[in-house]
Amino acid sequence: MKIYLNGKEYEAREGETLLEAAERAGIEIPSLCHLHGAETSPVPCGLCTVEVEGEGLVRACTTPVREGWRVWTDSDPVKEARRRILETLVANHYGDCRAPCSQPCPGGLNIQGYVALIARGEYAAALSLIKERLPLPALVGRVCPRFCEPRCRRALVDAPVAINDLKRFVADWGLERGGIRVEMAPPTGKRVAIVGAGPAGLTAAYYLRLKGHQVTILEKESEAGGMPRWVLPEFKIPREVLRREIEQLLSLGIELRTGQAWGRDFTLKDLLAEGYQAVFLAVGAFKEREHQIPGEENSLSGLDLLYRLKKGEEIPIRKGQQILVMGGGYTAVDTARSLVRLGAEVTLIYPRSRVEMPAPQREIRAAEAEGVKLFLMAIPLRIERNGQAFRVEIARTVLSEPDPKTKARRIMPLEDTREIRNFDWVVRAWGEESFTEFRTFGELEARLAVTPTGQLKVQSNTLATNIPGIFAGGDFVSGPKTVIQAVASGRKAAEAIHAYLMGIKKEKSLPTVKFDFNRGRRPEDMDLEFYAQFPQVPREKPAERPAQERKEDFQEVVGTLSEEAARREAERCLKCGCLGFHKCTFREILIRENVPARGRVRAKYTLQTEHPFIEVDPNKCVGCFRCVRSCQHEGLELKIYAQGTPEEEIHFNFTEHCVSCGACVDACPTGALTRKDSTVPFSRNEVREIRTVCPYCGTGCNLLARVKNGTILEVTGAPVPPNYGRLCVKGRFGYTCYRHPDRLKKPLLRRDRGQPFREVSWEEAFEFVAERLLEIRERYGPDSIGVLCSARTTNEETFIAQKFARAVIGTHNVDNPARV
Amino acid sequence: MSYKIKDALSRGLKLVVVDPRKTELASLADLWLPLRPGSNVALANGIAHVILRDGLYREEFIRERTEDFEAYARYILTEWPLERVERITGIRKDYIEQVARLYARAERALIFWGLGVAEHRSGSYGVMALANLALLCGHVGRPGTGAMPLRGQNNVQGACDMGALPYVLPGYQKIEDPLVRKKFEEVWGRPLPQRSGLTEPRMYQEALSGNLRALYIVGYDVAQTHANLKMVHQALINLDLVVVHDIFFPKTGEFAHVVFPVACLFEKEGTTDNGERRVQRIRKLVDPPADLPSDWEILVEIAKRMGYSMSYRSPRDIFEEMRRLMPTFAGITYERLEEQGLCWPVPHEDHPGTGIMFEQNFATPTGKARFAIPRYWPPEEEPDEVYPFLLITGRRLFHYNCGSMTRRVEGLMELLPEELVEMNPRDARRLRLRERDQVRIVSRRGEIVARVHVTSRVPVGTLFMDFHFLDPLTNTITSAGMDVKVHTPEYKVAAVRLEKLS
Repeated sequence: MKIYLNGKEYEAREGETLLEAAERAGIEIPSLCHLHGAETSPVPCGLCTVEVEGEGLVRACTTPVREGWRVWTDSDPVKEARRRILETLVANHYGDCRAPCSQPCPGGLNIQGYVALIARGEYAAALSLIKERLPLPALVGRVCPRFCEPRCRRALVDAPVAINDLKRFVADWGLERGGIRVEMAPPTGKRVAIVGAGPAGLTAAYYLRLKGHQVTILEKESEAGGMPRWVLPEFKIPREVLRREIEQLLSLGIELRTGQAWGRDFTLKDLLAEGYQAVFLAVGAFKEREHQIPGEENSLSGLDLLYRLKKGEEIPIRKGQQILVMGGGYTAVDTARSLVRLGAEVTLIYPRSRVEMPAPQREIRAAEAEGVKLFLMAIPLRIERNGQAFRVEIARTVLSEPDPKTKARRIMPLEDTREIRNFDWVVRAWGEESFTEFRTFGELEARLAVTPTGQLKVQSNTLATNIPGIFAGGDFVSGPKTVIQAVASGRKAAEAIHAYLMGIKKEKSLPTVKFDFNRGRRPEDMDLEFYAQFPQVPREKPAERPAQERKEDFQEVVGTLSEEAARREAERCLKCGCLGFHKCTFREILIRENVPARGRVRAKYTLQTEHPFIEVDPNKCVGCFRCVRSCQHEGLELKIYAQGTPEEEIHFNFTEHCVSCGACVDACPTGALTRKDSTVPFSRNEVREIRTVCPYCGTGCNLLARVKNGTILEVTGAPVPPNYGRLCVKGRFGYTCYRHPDRLKKPLLRRDRGQPFREVSWEEAFEFVAERLLEIRERYGPDSIGVLCSARTTNEETFIAQKFARAVIGTHNVDNPARV
Repeated sequence: MSYKIKDALSRGLKLVVVDPRKTELASLADLWLPLRPGSNVALANGIAHVILRDGLYREEFIRERTEDFEAYARYILTEWPLERVERITGIRKDYIEQVARLYARAERALIFWGLGVAEHRSGSYGVMALANLALLCGHVGRPGTGAMPLRGQNNVQGACDMGALPYVLPGYQKIEDPLVRKKFEEVWGRPLPQRSGLTEPRMYQEALSGNLRALYIVGYDVAQTHANLKMVHQALINLDLVVVHDIFFPKTGEFAHVVFPVACLFEKEGTTDNGERRVQRIRKLVDPPADLPSDWEILVEIAKRMGYSMSYRSPRDIFEEMRRLMPTFAGITYERLEEQGLCWPVPHEDHPGTGIMFEQNFATPTGKARFAIPRYWPPEEEPDEVYPFLLITGRRLFHYNCGSMTRRVEGLMELLPEELVEMNPRDARRLRLRERDQVRIVSRRGEIVARVHVTSRVPVGTLFMDFHFLDPLTNTITSAGMDVKVHTPEYKVAAVRLEKLS
């Protein structure tokens, strides 16, 4: 029979429903409760509503097709009906679609994911996940200001998870083992020049290299590393750690040319002439800021001191000298702490209060502990050099009322507080900015577009300059920022350069943030009662050397977490980000119907964690009853009172009949039912789905494994014979044994049974076995040897095993466990 | 399998379950026959008796597709009167008559069996007795019919298909056939012995008598899973060389000289055959830890050092050799397996695979199926005054065979953390045992300690245990009995006694 769907004619089959007809026609009708091959829901979701001309709105899942019907699947009345249904569902939903910790991270790391992998002891996978977005984790794990940790919801229970310490742990684990395997695309034949081997340049080089491009980095200094290598003090980031991390990165086949300064040794035109198809400028921000204080030019430069210390050069500071450091940012605090280590008495002067200092509070506290004196709410007005000493005129400050527009509070010196203080040295450390003289470097450079203040202008989404093929990023463009921000910039550049080189037009994806539920953005929004269900566990602290000891040298101050501590710390993660994200039909429908995720801010239910494999969060239940209908065993009960009203009450329980097959989790269209084995949040399009066969019984069910970062994220049934999507508890949940730490990794050998086993080389084990088999065959004949094959290995392996018996040894003494 | 059966039940399928224990499926069955352990042959012959006596068989099918019917019919009708069947099986004859009618009159009927049929002294005859039923009623070679063993391990089918048996070459080709031997000898470049080799149970006997000196074991934990373990352990100790491959240190490792670690099934490419003869692709999901080799790579290395070189670069190369040598696999390629598996035989590349066997002919020289005479042997030992309980061993849903994998999955250990002895409440009351009391279970071969689970799933006088755990090592006490034809140990019947531990 003929029907018309959205104005187009289709052939429908007698007896099928509108939903089935539309599905065959490839027309999507949303539904939450429809479950193939099962009876309809006791409380249908109603989302499959469509409009039939002359009949009005009908549910497509239960309405059989009729000859000549004209059906509209997305008309205004249909949309309106769906919107109303979705809004009631949304109003009852409570959860975090995505982990709050990764939202503020400039690098956009999947923090919950790598923390979960560390908790599982899968360090290589954790590192691989980190390196998808951050190729320098040992560096960032030491210097990151931790944008993430203040947003960690664990703070509502006790203290945030020590995210950065975990990153550092796993990064150091990787450094010790010589890195992890990465997948590299085949060579593209394209060449890219990167100017500057700081975090932004190295990051861009890494991701471009992985895409198969040939990458050369040109670096002004004698060694790669940029600011972290040449300025950040040794006690924060030891150069050995950085060197090893960069060596691993470069070992992918990235060329580094040192002693090459842009404008001195080459120009952009030279690079293009050399055959580079794209250039990324990431030369950092090394220019010192000025404050125009009279006599400022007599002071020493903090930046220069730090640089000379890292270079191993002499600086004029002596033990016991009185030093004034001016500033409150990273450079100021780093300089102060470095000078303390040279035995100087350091005072840090800053015109505002402690909490307004741009340096992280953690480092300010460390500086104080090491003996740096803070002189807050004070400003130097004039600096005079007096032979070997400095006279500094200082005034106390107050702050103005906030400016109505900018909210900024100006600094106002109090005139009657002026006093003169004497110091042996004055050091200025007001921070850095990008340099602007590059336009004089060459003829292409002169054509680069700049901002009114003279900074290089780039497109914010691609970091492209006005000259095709020339990109720029990192501090050079943004001014001084953190390492993780430079990394983010480098990765963005790599993506844009790759797209430029390969001629890929990037499709614009609409932001989906408004479809992300969250359990509250501000602390006062959050439901403390919900968090009361989690037991308190103290946060692990990495070892920190006592101030008295560490101020004597430039050795690293903070240590790395031990493996045990890291595992314990990773276990503290509350797993806020929804672990049903990849299977969530609900969110897909919200996006499709453009209904924003304005959910509840108060939880109604606590989590149900009693089941050995499945976690239940009724706060995310949409009442579709798919779980109940997917169960063949009466393994669960779901009762919903006052469904669809604000008074709705959900009662969910597993029964003693549950066989843990996990069909309900697959059927659940939200994160209300999730798997305890699947602890890494992911989205469907970022994993590889590989089909294989269950390693347990002889039914030979086909598995669909979701694989990423060298680990199996989860296993479901593949919709092919013999199992057609179904699995038992072992197939679905029993796969995890492959990563158990008990796995044997080295051959074990002993010459006689009285001895203990020794771990030996493969060569030694092969030799021993071959020799003994030959001896025995020689002495007693081939039939004195038997081979027992496995019922677990592949056909190919069993074939070789029996061939080993028959052709190599010369016996038919071969059998298999068919009798067990 | 049970999911499929449950689906079919909801469509009105009739289900008969034969099992001494009231399994989950038994409680859903239309008819449950809790026969006495070890009496399968008697029951099947009893059913055959009814079919023959009442003329329920399909004459046309028997005439055209089978042979030796008369001898079989005579044997059944004279040797297996229902009174004898009742006495041996403990099943009332009207139930037997019901099952016979149900099976014979059904348009389509399937027989499935597990190791409860095979692991008895008359195990092979039990299988033949069931196959005879299918032949009698013509329930073979059509969709929805057949007689099918449910295979226990993921590639036990493949292991047999690949010729990991002492009496056949790959593809069940006969060792005695000189043409077959010649084909293999040409490809392998070595002469093959003309006589069959030893089955596994006979290897242990030869080891005990000093004729077998070395055992090379690829991924099979014999020291835990074989029956009558004390004998097996002694046999292993007697050997001059024991080499094992495994992913975790196995019980057999305790008797080994060399233990090779290997990649597991998620870490390599290849194929396996399921119980339907479906050849399916195994795909690599992740890298093995420490770059571990696959089992075949280890064997190739050792062979090389023994003066035999094999030059495979990948499992696909091995598969190509398999195709050349095995007519049943000739038409299978990795490419064809990409979408979904193929059921062998697949004689050529355009062949769609053989989902249903024996549609026209049987795999015999005449093309006709032969009725075998299924003889009955009682179990090796039966309960007596000293050992009054009958012990059945088997498997549980939450664990798998030697348990080396499932015992390393947290959730599964939560569901079933230990070995339990299932015991009927009446026995428990008589022995003053309560749930989870510790008992010592003693057989003529040894003793073990486990805790009791009181359940009416087992009949009075019967105990049930699995063998998924290292402690207790259940197979220490299982029977020394073996199938009279193919030497399968009699895991399903042992006489034991219980002692309560305070």
